[in-house]
Amino acid sequence: MEKVAILSHTDNNRRWTGGLHGARDILEYMPIIHLRRTWDAFLITTVVLGSAFIWMTRATPGGTVVAPPAAAATLPAPFTNHPAPDFTLTTIDGTRVRLSDLRGQVVLINIWATWCPPCRAEMPVIQAAYERFHSRGFTVLAVNQQEDATTIQAYLRENGLTFPALLDGAAEVGVAYQARALPSSFFVDRRGIIRAIYRGPMSRGVIDGTIEHLVAETP
Amino acid sequence: MYPLLELGPVRLSSGGLLLIIAVLIGTWLFERHARQRGGEQLVELAGRCASVALLGALVGARLWYGMFSWDVYGRSPGLFLAFRIGDFAWPGALAGGALAGYLWCRHFGISAVELADAAALALPIAQVVASIGLLLSGEALGAPADLPWAVYLSGVARHPTQLYFAAAALVSRALLAWGARSAARPGMLTAFYLGFQGIAMLLIEALRVDSLVVAGGIRVAQVSGLLLLLAALWWQRSHVVAAPS
Repeated sequence: MEKVAILSHTDNNRRWTGGLHGARDILEYMPIIHLRRTWDAFLITTVVLGSAFIWMTRATPGGTVVAPPAAAATLPAPFTNHPAPDFTLTTIDGTRVRLSDLRGQVVLINIWATWCPPCRAEMPVIQAAYERFHSRGFTVLAVNQQEDATTIQAYLRENGLTFPALLDGAAEVGVAYQARALPSSFFVDRRGIIRAIYRGPMSRGVIDGTIEHLVAETP
Repeated sequence: MYPLLELGPVRLSSGGLLLIIAVLIGTWLFERHARQRGGEQLVELAGRCASVALLGALVGARLWYGMFSWDVYGRSPGLFLAFRIGDFAWPGALAGGALAGYLWCRHFGISAVELADAAALALPIAQVVASIGLLLSGEALGAPADLPWAVYLSGVARHPTQLYFAAAALVSRALLAWGARSAARPGMLTAFYLGFQGIAMLLIEALRVDSLVVAGGIRVAQVSGLLLLLAALWWQRSHVVAAPS
C-alpha cells in the first residue's frame, strides 16, 4: 500500500474543528485525495469520458427535419410570423425578381448599402452562407438602398459576391419593411412567412444557424 | 431578440453595449478583489495589467474566430479588423487575455498568480453580463428545443444556451467565493476558475448550433474546455498529491 504523507500545513495546528470552512478543508481532510494513483485514474477517466462526449455531441450537418409552426398571421407585414410583403425589383443586370416567385425557397432579404460599414462587413459571411446552402433551396435578395447599378456592380465584383443584388431606387421595399437601421435582415421560410428579423449586423452563427433550421423544414 | 436598442436617433448594438458594461464591471471587480487580496500595491498592478489583458483578449477573440472560420476570413482578411461584435470567440479571449497578462507580468518581473486569482473572482460576473448581451442580440444560438424555458430566437424555440452559460458562471462565482474564504493556496482560485470554465464549455457548447468546428464537426470550444479542465485537474494533482516520504 502506498504511504500517505500528510502535507506540512495539515499538521496539528490545523485539525478539523467540525466544520468545512472552504474548498481547501475538504481537500485537506480526505486522505484518498492525496494519492497519486487516485489523480491519475481521475485524469484518465476525464480524458476518456470528455473525448467520448465531444465525439457524441459533434455538430452534424443537415439538422433535424421538423414541420414549421402551423399558426401564422395572414396579413402581409414586416413582422415575425407574418407573410413577407411582396415586391418586384430589378437586379443590377436588369432581371425582374418577384419575391412571391421564390415560394418554396428560404430567402434572406438583406436591406443594405455599400456606404454602410456593418453591411459591408457581413457580406462575406452572407456570400459563404449563399454558397453553402444554395443547393438546399436557399437564396439571398440583397436589396440595395438608392444607389446606382454601377457602384453596386463594382462593389460586388471587387468582393466576389455572386448573390442577386436588387435596386430599390425609391427605397419602396426599405419603407415597406420598415428598415430604419441598415443592415436589416428578414429570413423568409419556404411558405413565404417571415420567421426571423435581424436589425443590425448578424454574426455568422446567427446566419448559418437560422438558415440551417429553415432549409431543413418541409415546405 | 433585441439586437439594436433604439434611443431616439441613436441605435446601439445591445450585445456590444452589454459587452462594454461587462468589461467595465469586470475591471472594477478585478481591482476590488486585487485590493482585498493584496492591498494598494496589487490594485496598482491590476489597473495597469487590466488594459494589457483586455487588449490581448480582444485580439485573441478575433484571431480565434477568424482562424476557425478560415473559409470566410481567408478570402476576406479585412474581416480580422472589421467592427463586428458577433465575431469574437470566448476561448480566444480567455487565451489571449491570459497570455497578454502573463507576458506583461513576466516583462516586469511580477508574480502573475495573485493577479490571476483576483481575475478568477471577477471574470464570472462579467461573463454573466456578456451572456445576457448574447441573448439580447440573439447570438450563441442554442439547438431547437421543446422546453418550458426555451427562448424564441431566429424563428425557432431554442435552448437558452446564453442563460445556461450565465448560470454556470454564477455557480462558479459562488463556489470560488466559498473557496476564497479560506486562506487558499495562491493559484488555486485560478485553477478552479479554469476548471469550471472547462466544464461549462464542454457541456453547454454541445447545445449550440453555431459552434466553431474543425474537421468532422468537432466543436473547438469543447476541446478547449476539456483541455482547461485537464489543466486544472493537473494543477490540483501536483499540489495535493503528497510527496512519498
